[in-house]
Amino acid sequence: MAYELHKISVLVVEDNQPMLDITKSLLLTFGIGHVVGAQNGEQGYDRFCEYNNDIIIADWMMKPMDGISFTRLVRNDPKSPNPYVPIILMTGFSERRRVIQARDAGVTEFLVKPFNAKDLYRRLVQVIERPRQFVRAPDFFGPDRRRKSVGKTIANYEGPFRRDADMKNPEILKMMRQQQMAAHDTLDRIRKREGLNKGDKFDLSPQDDR
Amino acid sequence: MISDPDHYKQKPRRKAEYIKPPNLLKAKVGSGGLSDNILAKAQALLENNSVDFQPLAELYLNSLFSGIERTRKDLKNGETEFQIASMLYPAMQLKANGGMFHYPLVTTIADRLVQFLEVIELVDDNAIEIVLAFHTTLRAVIMGKIQGDGGTHGADLIAALDQACMRFFERYPDHKVGGQPDHSSSF
Repeated sequence: MAYELHKISVLVVEDNQPMLDITKSLLLTFGIGHVVGAQNGEQGYDRFCEYNNDIIIADWMMKPMDGISFTRLVRNDPKSPNPYVPIILMTGFSERRRVIQARDAGVTEFLVKPFNAKDLYRRLVQVIERPRQFVRAPDFFGPDRRRKSVGKTIANYEGPFRRDADMKNPEILKMMRQQQMAAHDTLDRIRKREGLNKGDKFDLSPQDDR
Repeated sequence: MISDPDHYKQKPRRKAEYIKPPNLLKAKVGSGGLSDNILAKAQALLENNSVDFQPLAELYLNSLFSGIERTRKDLKNGETEFQIASMLYPAMQLKANGGMFHYPLVTTIADRLVQFLEVIELVDDNAIEIVLAFHTTLRAVIMGKIQGDGGTHGADLIAALDQACMRFFERYPDHKVGGQPDHSSSF
């Protein structure tokens, strides 16, 4: 058994023509039935209203409308044919604050460029197999930003991820390492300030949280 | 540490509705994934693409240079965020596209530039000199059609740029964003 990808339609919104062509070709090689291209967010939204695609892959930096504004439009515009559609955002940015910015706009997955065929395939599998529940709050509508809450049961609990070897996703690994480094720095700072040695106990004051 | 014993008994401050839309996508495609053969075919297509990266790269290089020039001319009056953005966006495009079109060394170098621009808080002549050094190196790699990782020469170029950045931050520590990263949420 294999995925019957010929049954779905994907919209690719990318202003860089060679990149648009290559992404479309990859998707067609995967066997996707209908791949529609658009060169900016405005055109992309028109195409989405016309075709109501099953998945959207959009670039971040485009003019006149970028991928973030496009995502907000798809999620919040009353004319949007499917505000729940999975949106994969492609970008060269990989810094944490950029990921958070995209997440807060309602993006489902993040695909860092340059990518290979497997990277793109993994994102497709992710949106097919692990869809996010949606949250509607006064200031936000989009996929639940806490992926952990979706479908977690004792049966599929994979254990605590603590060691690097537990994690296969390099982005999560990188994020974990950054968190560990930041935690080390904070501890060092407190120890230096208080004149403590390793292993000494101390109380955390509110300014130590950051 | 949370000292208030009633902390966990507080009412939610915002009303949020959780919606679980039906997984129509899964219903359409079924199960099973794709075979390794298809993935290998797709990867081969990517690796054998014959796109000429040079015209595209020149576009981004020119845009980066315009950003540098604009920033230099308006150093004291310009808005820092805008100045950084005018150099950051073309750098990000070089990083994103180099590796897609057989220039992974461009991606590696542009990635260093993106990291540099993401952490500086102040733009002055010294910071611009660093960005210019990156621009010159990227231009040399692209004009010299250095595809692949550039071998020893590529590694030397990266090491030289790394050292320049390190020296810059040692000499001007106040140029770097001082805040700790935010760990309050995960994606």
